[in-house]
Amino acid sequence: MDWQVRKDGGRLIGQPRGRVDETTWEKFSNDLIAAVREAAAAGLPLTVDLTGLDYMSSRGLRALTMAKREAGDAVAITLAGPNERMREILAISRYDKLFEIVDDVGL
Amino acid sequence: MLVRFWGTRGSLPVAQRAEAIRAKVVRALVAADGRRFASEDEAAAFAQENLDFATYGAFGGATSCVEVEGADEAFMICDMGSGLREFGIDAMRRCAGGHARTYHFFMSHMHWDHIMGFPFFAPAFDANATIVVHSGHADAEEALRRQQEEISFPVPFDWLRATFEFVQHKPGEVVEVDGVEVTLVVQHHSHDSYGYRFARHGRSVIYSTDSEHKLDNMDSEAAFESFFKDADLVICDTMYSLGDSVSLKQDWGHSSNIVAVDLCHAAHAKKLALFHHEPTYSDEDIARMHAETVRYEELVRAERPALEVICAYDGLEVTV
Ligand SMILES: [Zn+2]
Ligand SMILES: [Zn+2]
Repeated sequence: MDWQVRKDGGRLIGQPRGRVDETTWEKFSNDLIAAVREAAAAGLPLTVDLTGLDYMSSRGLRALTMAKREAGDAVAITLAGPNERMREILAISRYDKLFEIVDDVGL
Repeated sequence: MLVRFWGTRGSLPVAQRAEAIRAKVVRALVAADGRRFASEDEAAAFAQENLDFATYGAFGGATSCVEVEGADEAFMICDMGSGLREFGIDAMRRCAGGHARTYHFFMSHMHWDHIMGFPFFAPAFDANATIVVHSGHADAEEALRRQQEEISFPVPFDWLRATFEFVQHKPGEVVEVDGVEVTLVVQHHSHDSYGYRFARHGRSVIYSTDSEHKLDNMDSEAAFESFFKDADLVICDTMYSLGDSVSLKQDWGHSSNIVAVDLCHAAHAKKLALFHHEPTYSDEDIARMHAETVRYEELVRAERPALEVICAYDGLEVTV
């Protein structure tokens, strides 16, 4: 899994690529938490750009939860552009009720 | 080994209401689409083949009670939920046919839904029966006695005629019970709960209910992966969605279908039985949760061999 972060349109955008599973979730989690802190310091919302992600197992969902706890009320987290597979996983886990999900990253 | 589910519902027994039965009948009639059946057998065959389980069957509403058949002579039963009443009646029938009158119970914990069947367990009144209650808790006997105090039940524990023995085990120790190797693991739940691994002839069954897997406790997760290792059947608490278990229902002591699949995948388990169903769920809700779990397993399977995901219901038998 590869991770890149950029500022764009008044948001911080974190972009994981590849898949988040038992071998890569810790890196994803650390990168995500760092991005939440960076967003909080800059007073920006955080968009997680999922367009390059194949899928994540519950390890990745766990990282999202920890990021949300870290963010508290300070940073709004939006998940953007999940593929079909990710969309299904977010629905089955009911994470679509915990996170705002948008179709594309937009600009 | 043969695993027989006598009670699969979580927290509180439930019964089908008239509306639910009516909806099943209506769906069946619509599916029949004007066909004529010469006999009830013919209609049953059509129903079996064409209707889904939530229409032609029901998951049942008795609370946790699972029999593991495969000891030398004795009965082995996990938990004493309301499903125990039915088991007791069936066991008396089998005893009349010559089955040994020894019962080994393995208690996940002593919450009400896991002991409420005991006052209605007919073999407890059999003077020739021996009942051994295995648990990780020190207070199993107290819980069963307290449940039969006058304020809660008319028959006190001391009126029971069977011979009782209470045995406390330490997690991690392998104990041999009537030819079956049994191991316990401590689980995260109010007042603790214990999971069991039953092994014989190279086959193994895991009973792990009322167990919350905390997001931020990786050591515990590794412990469960090794406890579930290569199991032929894992019976797992899948009461909540993952979303609920990390938000609204965090610290309520239960797990999700998602975590169950991931643990089974990591442990290379062969079959997962969804268990301890949410009492507010209709048969359709449980069937949907089952279908979603099967789908999730497919989505995250990657290069692993397939994990078979079944949904426990009262009356289900699984050969291991
Ligand atoms: Zn329970
Ligand atoms: Zn409980």
